[in-house]
Amino acid sequence: MTTFLSEQLFIGGLHFTADGFRIVYGLIAVWMWALTTLFSFEYFRHERAHLKRYWFFTAATFIATEGVMFSADLMTSFVFFEILSLTSFVWVIHEETPEAVRAAKTYFFIAVIGGLILFMGLALMANTAGTLYYSELHEAIANSGQPKTVFAAGICILFGFGAKAGMFPLHIWLPKSHPVAPSPASALLSGILTKVGIFGILMTALPGFLGDGTFGLIVLLLGTITMALGALIALFSVNLKRTLACSSMSQIGFILVGIGTAVLVSALSGSGEESGALASEAMELAHSGLVLHMVNHSLIKLTLFMAAGVFVMRLHMINLNDIRGFGRGKPLLMIPFLLGALGISGVPCFNGYISKTLLHEGLVLAREAFAEGGAVSTASLLHGIEWIFLISGGCTFAYMLKLFICIFIEKHPQKQAEYDAATPCMNRLSAETLLTSSLLMPLLGLPAISGRLAALMTGDDVFHHFHAFAFANLKGGMMSLLIGMLVYLVIIRRFLIVQGRYVNRWPAKLDLEDLIYRPLLLKVLPKAGGALARFVDGLPGYARIIMPAAHFISRFMALLPDGIMIFSRRTFLHERKRQSEEIAPGQLRTIREREKQAAIPVVINFSFAIMMMCLGILIIFGVILLLSL
Amino acid sequence: MNSLYLLIAIFIPTVCGLLTLRLKFADDHALHVYIEGVALVTSVLVWVLLFCVPGDPVILYEFEDRFTLQIGLDHLGKLYAGLVSVMWPVVLLYAFSYMEHDRRQRSFFAFYIMTYGAALGACFSSNMLTLFFFFEMLSFSTIPLVAHHQDHESMHAARIYAAYLFGCATLGLAAVIVVTLYGKTGHFIYGGDLAGVQVPQWIQVIYLFGFFGLGVKAAVFPFHKWLPEASVAPAPVTALLHAVAVVNTGVFAVIRLTYFVIGPDFLRGSWVQAVCILTASFTLVYAAIIALRERHIKRRLAYSTVSNLSYMLFGVMLLSPAGLVAGTAHLVFHSITKMTLFLCIGSFMHHTHKEYLSDVNGAGKHMPWTFVFYTISALSLLGVPLLCGFVSKWRLLTAGAEEGSVPALIGLASLILSAFLCAIYGLSVSARAFFPVNEVDRFAGQGRIDEGGWRMLGPLCFFTALEVWFGLFPGPLLQFIGTIVQGM
Repeated sequence: MTTFLSEQLFIGGLHFTADGFRIVYGLIAVWMWALTTLFSFEYFRHERAHLKRYWFFTAATFIATEGVMFSADLMTSFVFFEILSLTSFVWVIHEETPEAVRAAKTYFFIAVIGGLILFMGLALMANTAGTLYYSELHEAIANSGQPKTVFAAGICILFGFGAKAGMFPLHIWLPKSHPVAPSPASALLSGILTKVGIFGILMTALPGFLGDGTFGLIVLLLGTITMALGALIALFSVNLKRTLACSSMSQIGFILVGIGTAVLVSALSGSGEESGALASEAMELAHSGLVLHMVNHSLIKLTLFMAAGVFVMRLHMINLNDIRGFGRGKPLLMIPFLLGALGISGVPCFNGYISKTLLHEGLVLAREAFAEGGAVSTASLLHGIEWIFLISGGCTFAYMLKLFICIFIEKHPQKQAEYDAATPCMNRLSAETLLTSSLLMPLLGLPAISGRLAALMTGDDVFHHFHAFAFANLKGGMMSLLIGMLVYLVIIRRFLIVQGRYVNRWPAKLDLEDLIYRPLLLKVLPKAGGALARFVDGLPGYARIIMPAAHFISRFMALLPDGIMIFSRRTFLHERKRQSEEIAPGQLRTIREREKQAAIPVVINFSFAIMMMCLGILIIFGVILLLSL
Repeated sequence: MNSLYLLIAIFIPTVCGLLTLRLKFADDHALHVYIEGVALVTSVLVWVLLFCVPGDPVILYEFEDRFTLQIGLDHLGKLYAGLVSVMWPVVLLYAFSYMEHDRRQRSFFAFYIMTYGAALGACFSSNMLTLFFFFEMLSFSTIPLVAHHQDHESMHAARIYAAYLFGCATLGLAAVIVVTLYGKTGHFIYGGDLAGVQVPQWIQVIYLFGFFGLGVKAAVFPFHKWLPEASVAPAPVTALLHAVAVVNTGVFAVIRLTYFVIGPDFLRGSWVQAVCILTASFTLVYAAIIALRERHIKRRLAYSTVSNLSYMLFGVMLLSPAGLVAGTAHLVFHSITKMTLFLCIGSFMHHTHKEYLSDVNGAGKHMPWTFVFYTISALSLLGVPLLCGFVSKWRLLTAGAEEGSVPALIGLASLILSAFLCAIYGLSVSARAFFPVNEVDRFAGQGRIDEGGWRMLGPLCFFTALEVWFGLFPGPLLQFIGTIVQGM
């Protein structure tokens, strides 16, 4: 572990370390930035206005990402995490269209909320556990003596990082901001920035909260919801980039399920002989599966979003009905897209298959471990989650099939001739970049390579007893693909295509952001807060009571001598009343008042204030006198 | 050296300020040189004194047995004096540029420099009565500055200002007198002058008087309205006095009363502490909500100041060493940050004669530096790491979590909520400036608007650099604040 800027910096400095996982992810970040940059040259060739801004913030985000990936403690992660949240904001708002501005606002809100929750979690954690180093977290949490507070801190950290990862219920920014960003930026947002959030959750949960079943269950449930919801929205979406963004959300759900399984099942590892062994194996499988799925998802989304960038670049459209048929006769576009789609759908021989199978096996073993240990309810819950897992995997296949058939097989009703003529659809550099990025899918689909990678990243080699192409594992993968085929044929072809056009049947009202968050944040809270504020504001303020009182009393005081003088003249001085020269009460003052109208109120207040001061002193002395008697 | 030398530092700006009202100056330039000279001499003197003067308080005048005027210097005073003495000369540079075309510059700068003396007096005073004296002197010398424009609006603001600062300070005076009567030594001691003395329970009520009476300057909830009203004053006044000197003196006085006179042990765990923490928590959320609704940028920032002052009071009222360090650190860092924000907005208002939020649309492209500095400061205010605001917020949060009582936890929750609101009200100005809503650029076709040359940009740059510096290396400063807690 290296300490940078030590002592001088706020809480003991920034700390960096490198292990297998961090090095692999650091390299993936480099790889992604390098390829998207190569792709950007063509993508931005007509853009002049904001290019400098774009490159500046892209570079800043890169540095911050590497900072998070190599951080050795939560504080360092947090520092770079915040920087990255703010710099990547510029990607989302880059186009400055109304949708982009709206999405950017959502992104910003969630980033700030996430950042603050994380901040809170860190403060609680630092206080109760006494350390923020990932390596010491497990021991510190176990020995903290305040299980409730530590748990609260853990939940805060989970939600804080989860906001960036796109975890339910803070996922709302994800399907909105990825489509509006420029495609190279979308690839980065989806491929690596979400992983930054996952990184934080993984580093905190897996060594830190091992053995805490409740924490694992929460992660598992949230992961399941994210996974299913993302797959479902992606199924309905008719926008290429939006489908990919929802798919990202769904894949993040798969990863979270892996984390949840590992933490949940680790609670068992100390128990009975049989279930303990099963549990530790399930944990290892889930751990390997989730890190591999992280890597795979990063690489796949890089390819897919860059491929989507080609459509934006050539057609400036990404609605499926507009771009259908554009891919026909363009093998350089089709091959990378196909490889990416096969990878993410979990087709055997491609990378997604291995990671998803590992995650699935982890779930199965965890269920068996719980069944063995006698926790029937947890086992049946895990059984349900396993089915949701398979169905979500099937949906992945279904929506990728939908995209592929729409773009590369079907014909556009009107513009097909125009589309066929549009070759080549990108320059050589972009095509090579795209192809290079996609060649990793089959490469990582080889169990030997994936196994090495997983061993490097997790430290334990599960591949000596895990056989990716064993019948049981192939069965799970095939079942998922079968479900996907059915979903495609039954749901998509029958219900989501009307008169030859793709339609989004997802009810527009059923949007968590529009349904709950925006009304809550923009209407209810300001209204409630505003009502409260107005009420408090409307209370007669100190000045509103004091001012008239001051005015009244000082006027009275000023008029008193006049009044006494006039009264005495009329009564005991027996002065004769002269009509023309009568001095009305207050006249002496009004003359002066006219002269120095502006200064008077201040003077009145001064005199009043000093008078009040004297009164105060009197009262206080009175009180003291009374009390000391 | 004798503590009496401190008097010189107080007298130079005060007397020179008074003289300015009578002296004849050849032109504005001569006035500026004279004023800047006074400020620089005072600041240099203050820094020399900070390093040389021993801490023993000296009695200047004795009214009665216990009622004395004393000055002396301890570490809290040093911190505040150091802060103030860096800010004055730098902001003056900005003020010269800002007030360029004003006809009554002489009276403005006369009072402006007199407030410097009063603020230093507050730093150097070493018992409550002296502190209160300078506290009131600061209010007096600020009123002409608030009323400077002499139109209906600023006269009204001056009235409100006077009514609040003098009227409510009576409460404070009550507390000052009572604690002086009961005090053991009659000067400030960390841990409390009253600690160990058998005092009746109703001193708690008296403390509450003191908290609210002295807290008027810190704009604590029922007495906060003067601060937004006072934002009609010229920007250098709002920036230096109503974001730093006057308001921080309020917090400073509360710290003195709590930690140096009454003693935290007497109050810890009592209902008074709960009341104070809850009031601060309420203020910090309430003011943030109002700031969000406010369309006038300076008033918005003023409400933000109200909110942030309560952060400090929250930290202070945790009554733990960590809380005091957090509150004091926030006092320093917020001063730098908020002053930069006000100066940036002042610069914008000065050059465009616009003052509402919708007028900022697109201004970022025409005044890039000003809004870059603004954005950095707004991020610091929000508490983004590597900027100074983060350091104090982190300290506040950990101190609150350490305290762990119910009011402290409520305070923590409101801190987070208010930080969220702060992100919106602070950064929405930047967002409008750089990403104009609906592409409406209010300044289309104007090209670069003059940003005021080095005299205006220089201070902005200086304070922004300070924010970044303290964000990266707060260690030495925090260590120094730590020595206050050790009773130095």
